[in-house]
Amino acid sequence: MNRIRSSVFSLLLLVFVSASAFAQTRRLSGRVTVEGSNEPLVAASVSVVGTSLGTYTDDQGRFSLNVPAGPVTLRVRRIGYIAKTTAVPAGDTEVNIALGRDVLQLETQVVTGTATTVSSVNAANAVTVVSGEKLNKVPAQTIDYALQGKIPGAIITQNSGAPGGGVQVQLRGVSTINASFLPIYVVDGVIVDNSQIANGINAITAAAGGNFGSTQDQRVNRTADINPNDIESIQVLKGPSASSIYGSRGTNGVIIITTKQGQAGRSNLDVIQRFGTARISNKVGSRCFGSGQEYADWTGDTAVAAIAADIAAYNAATTKCHDYEQELYGEHPFNYQTVASLRGATTGGTNYFVSGLVQHDGGLALNDNYNKQSIRVNLGQKLGSRLNLQANTELIHSLTERGISGNDNTGINPYTTFSQTPSFIDYRKQADGTYPVGLSVNNNSNPFQNTELIKTPEDVFRLLGSGLMSYNLVSQDRQTLDFSVRGGIDAYNDHARVISPATAYVEQVNALPGTLVNNNANIFTGNIGASFTHRLIRDRFTATTSAGIGQVRRNVDILGNTGRGVFPGVTNVASATQIFTTEAQDVVKSQSIFGQEEFLTMGERLLLTAGVNGERTSNNGDAQKYYAYPKFSGSYRVPVPTARIDELKVRLAYGRAGNQPQGGKFTFLTNLIYDGVTGFRTSTALGLPTVKPETASEMEGGFDLTLFGARARFSATQFRKQIDDLLLTAAVAPSTGFASKTINGGQIVNHGTELELEMTPIRTDRFSWVSGTTYSSAKGKVTRLPVPGFIPVSGSFGSRFGNAFVQQGQLITVLQAVNGCTALNAAGTSCPSANRVLVFVGNSAPDYEMGFSNDFSAGPFRLSSLLDWRKGGLGVNLTNDYFYGSGLAKDTALATRQLAAFRKGVDVWVENSGFLKLRELTLGYELPTEMASRLFNGHAQNARIELSGRNLFTRTRYTGLDPEVSNFGNQALGRFQDVTPYPPSRLFYFTIATTF
Amino acid sequence: MKRYTTIVIALAALAAAGCRDNPVANPIDAPTVDQLSGALTGPALQFIATGALAQDRGSTNVFAYAIEAGIFARDVYRIDASEPRFVQETLGGNPDPGSFAGGGAWAAYYTAIRAENAILAALGNVAANQFTPAQVTATRGFFRTMKALEYWRVIEMHDTVGAVIQSDDANAVTDVRCKTAVLSYIAALLDTANADFTAAGGTTTLPFTVPSGWKTSVAGRNYSVVSNLVLLNRGLKGKVDFYRGLNRTNPTPALFATAITEITQALNGAAAGAVPPADFKKGPYYVFVPGGSENTPNTISDSKIGLNPLVKDSVQAGDTRASKIVPRSPTAGFGLATSITYVGAVASTANQALPLGLLRDEELVLLRAQAYIEAGQLANAILDINDVRTNYGLAPVAPADKNSAINAVLYEKRYSLLFEGPQRFDDLREYGRLNATFLRPETSTDPYNAALPIPRAELNARGLTTNPACTP
Repeated sequence: MNRIRSSVFSLLLLVFVSASAFAQTRRLSGRVTVEGSNEPLVAASVSVVGTSLGTYTDDQGRFSLNVPAGPVTLRVRRIGYIAKTTAVPAGDTEVNIALGRDVLQLETQVVTGTATTVSSVNAANAVTVVSGEKLNKVPAQTIDYALQGKIPGAIITQNSGAPGGGVQVQLRGVSTINASFLPIYVVDGVIVDNSQIANGINAITAAAGGNFGSTQDQRVNRTADINPNDIESIQVLKGPSASSIYGSRGTNGVIIITTKQGQAGRSNLDVIQRFGTARISNKVGSRCFGSGQEYADWTGDTAVAAIAADIAAYNAATTKCHDYEQELYGEHPFNYQTVASLRGATTGGTNYFVSGLVQHDGGLALNDNYNKQSIRVNLGQKLGSRLNLQANTELIHSLTERGISGNDNTGINPYTTFSQTPSFIDYRKQADGTYPVGLSVNNNSNPFQNTELIKTPEDVFRLLGSGLMSYNLVSQDRQTLDFSVRGGIDAYNDHARVISPATAYVEQVNALPGTLVNNNANIFTGNIGASFTHRLIRDRFTATTSAGIGQVRRNVDILGNTGRGVFPGVTNVASATQIFTTEAQDVVKSQSIFGQEEFLTMGERLLLTAGVNGERTSNNGDAQKYYAYPKFSGSYRVPVPTARIDELKVRLAYGRAGNQPQGGKFTFLTNLIYDGVTGFRTSTALGLPTVKPETASEMEGGFDLTLFGARARFSATQFRKQIDDLLLTAAVAPSTGFASKTINGGQIVNHGTELELEMTPIRTDRFSWVSGTTYSSAKGKVTRLPVPGFIPVSGSFGSRFGNAFVQQGQLITVLQAVNGCTALNAAGTSCPSANRVLVFVGNSAPDYEMGFSNDFSAGPFRLSSLLDWRKGGLGVNLTNDYFYGSGLAKDTALATRQLAAFRKGVDVWVENSGFLKLRELTLGYELPTEMASRLFNGHAQNARIELSGRNLFTRTRYTGLDPEVSNFGNQALGRFQDVTPYPPSRLFYFTIATTF
Repeated sequence: MKRYTTIVIALAALAAAGCRDNPVANPIDAPTVDQLSGALTGPALQFIATGALAQDRGSTNVFAYAIEAGIFARDVYRIDASEPRFVQETLGGNPDPGSFAGGGAWAAYYTAIRAENAILAALGNVAANQFTPAQVTATRGFFRTMKALEYWRVIEMHDTVGAVIQSDDANAVTDVRCKTAVLSYIAALLDTANADFTAAGGTTTLPFTVPSGWKTSVAGRNYSVVSNLVLLNRGLKGKVDFYRGLNRTNPTPALFATAITEITQALNGAAAGAVPPADFKKGPYYVFVPGGSENTPNTISDSKIGLNPLVKDSVQAGDTRASKIVPRSPTAGFGLATSITYVGAVASTANQALPLGLLRDEELVLLRAQAYIEAGQLANAILDINDVRTNYGLAPVAPADKNSAINAVLYEKRYSLLFEGPQRFDDLREYGRLNATFLRPETSTDPYNAALPIPRAELNARGLTTNPACTP
């Protein structure tokens, strides 16, 4: 009893003593400048190490705060600059600090929870942060294009050259077969929808048959709507070891986007005006007949009169060899982009960022284009010293017209015509305004007429809005408790139409000429969450504890109407002779609870984190059950004796995330029609009422080195990701009345390496060179499969060409095809179907990818480049099949050889799809300040002009239009089918940017 | 500070309120079986009844029903150069359990059985003010009858290989039962259905609209009324009891008398030879709708189909049923050749909409004749045989012994029911005539197939590679 009382007494004494120790303070002021130039550094954070005291510098870079009387250590930091700590002896009241530029981005804040961040110096995961400046070096139509080559561990591939988007981001390989396969995008805390909506061109291409849209509609995934210019930074959580905070959405990684906020200091109006154009960057070409006789031989005509007619037709042609691709895809579009943003803060505690975008990007063919307009208003308000409110909204409108590309069965795709037409035939608009009729085998389609008459507008209106309220409940020197509520919505309407009038020749062969599609997708995603964050700052450690709850809701309603048999000129579906309707709906609700502890100790050298996120969702069989997604990580900044090494951090992280089952728990009723009456019966696909989410567990380890006085940074990471409880379809005994059932089973194991080297080999006053190299590889294997091997639903054209295959013991991205023959036929010319050998050809995913970025600056000039090298990978080039089969391939001899080999059972369509691409190249010039001011009537602070290009140069062994291609759009497996896509383009821009 | 506290509390409360929502959501994209577990309403019953009947139609509208059974009975040919399995796995060799020729007559019927079981389960929980108890009982009897019909179709094509009695548990895979057990199960099911009909009363009508093939305009009777459904039920029971009696592995002669009684009841009590010929074509029909959104044509309308030349050669002079045999362009392949076809098999849109009888009175009359023969009542058998024969311009016959009587009735059945299903196949097999003694080999490797195997998908799911022994 006595012991306890004396302990309590000494504890109280301690409290009073420490309290009294803080009772003595002094006023400390100073100035923070930029190293080298002595400019004031605005909005730099100045804090006292070991306490929660801190403030920000003002317009002049000055700060002033009350600090304890004894000696203190100040830490000064600001994004874009290297943080510095300075010891301030007792008694000093004035201190000046200069910060050097953080050229290599060594110091950023890394998200570790819904309301917690940690300095990247201590971060225990391999997190990649892409600054807005790095993102927007060269203009890009959508953020996915802008991210290509900049994230180690990410394979970002475009699906075709059509304007407006359609790009897939794969982080650390393929992590699923039947569940979600894309990373989630979070903008200012709001989960943003990234669906691909089919616009319905399948109704006129018949790629998949039927009356509605299909996976072959060259769909755009909707993160294309986001304005890249608004982005302050993008942080990528590459796998479950970091993304367990996102629970059952985190398996494929998370891309966290933070938009720009207002900053203290002078308010700035930035205006960027760009002009640009695009040119087709690759063509396949077609055969050029040298003489009428050669053409007659090709037709195979034997009758003398027919041969004479062929030769006459050839001779009559004015141009013997049309370059069809140049004629159709040879537009010189005038592109422009205007970005204006106003950014600042008032003394009243309001900060604002308002921006607007107007963008027009023409496609390569007439009438193809991508237009986007957006307006963003980010407002923040500090109320008192404890309450912070932030509201960010963006309103976006985009209109995309991409024409017709991809697989078709009606003859409407331009390449279907080009591959079957001898190149002396002119398809262009004649002097009298009419178009020649196309080939009857292609339903008379004339691609030039189609470009003029057929419209495929996809019109999107989107609202992104997020709100954040953070309240500082307890603010003591050594302890803070914050409460924050964060929520937002992403609501959009995607209105896609296809107008194919009966005046087009290709429509006139239909029983009901004239087709209209009118699709409306309404998608709403909303999330809200609340959390408490407690920070305890002691001499020996800082402990951050956070806990909170969250909720996500998603509503989808996609209504599609197709009309056939339409009067020319009418665009109203209701007026059609035959009308078809379809609808798809979905409602998903999820709830989560989380708790996390971050323990920073040993002089801020050791960071240990443990957390768990419990989540339940309506997609699971048991919607009430919480599934746990834990994470554990540790990082240690090793004290290094040598001067050359500034920092060496070793890190290890483990985390678990999930992937929701979508629809797997239900046994649906199939509808049948009997004598004109609709009936329903149980589907032959049995659902699993106890279906669970897939679980992905990842262990990641690595180290980060900073060398030579922050002149070089090297990171190495290895990861192993194991996905269990894969959602699979298993065959069942038909005597049960079912043909298949949903099961959880199977396992995929992914492992890989990521390396990053960034350095500034040259850094002088006038000249600097910053170089970055990244390397990433990932390989996934199906280690357990409780069902027989199968072809996933992704879509393919048969094993004679190449398809994905899921088989235990094989790579998840393996490509299977017929390649070999046990015995040819008697004549030795073909392989009987029974003798064809089905093999696993190889890995369709790349072996590794490397990015090389180099920035040179000499005085006011700047030159930056980004090279993307992808090694390995396979594609199935079916575009070649169109040309080889007709005998009109450019290289006739090669085509003949290939076809002969194909008949003998060789798979000639599978090609290496590795490439080296010059993604970005910019040459910029910063105008002298006097010239800049004179240019704009003395209002401009600075101005720069730039010449930039995107995808200027490609080197590849792939013989198709572009090794980056996917006929079926974004999908988990099998995204290597190349079927007459939209050709790729080179983009050129001229930019003038000013700050007022 | 205080004024901000209110804001904070308000926002926190908002967040808390939003966060308390129950995360259970319904899939509103398409109906699921969960929607069947609620109280059954009239519209829902209409949907699921039509669905089950549509599945039943679909399962008979495929190769395995009229066409393949007709080929096994050696009346029908299908010669397709690009698809030799129509001959190689029927008349030229054994059917492969993994192909369409060998794997049929199974999965589609079991899906129909699942659908009918779902209806029977749903009838256990009906909503208020939707149906009278009699209507519920009548519906139950109807779908029990249909379920029995599905099982009959599976076993008549799989014979001694056996069939599975489906469990209510979707995940349970039960034993393959032997033919005798399956036939007993079917018989019991039909009797239970009949008890339902008795309880419902003859004047009760089904509380849902039946397809036109079950209505008077096509069927000759209104099969919505229980009294007519009883006719169908008793007819089926009589057929099943007859074949149970004749079962080569386990004959039960006592059942022939039962069969006669039941078929007589199905024929409205008409005595031997007293069924009016106008009734011959009465019975439920499957109707087909080519084109449109339904797009379900009758699959026998097929230019690759022909009839075995023996069909024409064996017609007796003056038989008006010879009009069912029409010439076609000569076709040959894989050892077969023909230049005749069935009138309903000529490829045309009219034939694509040709209805198919389920169990016509004409078949019942001849079945009764067969039962009379086996029961030793030769005179009555002759009356029924002649009732049919004379309707088609033929002189009456008077076979003196059982064997010639069987020959006579088989002739009538062959031409009365030409290309209408597996009836002849069943008879040839049950009478032990599916062999070279009675029938010529159609190809040099004719195996005289008597049954389809268990399909490959079923074997795979059970981890087997060959047919398992059936459980008695």
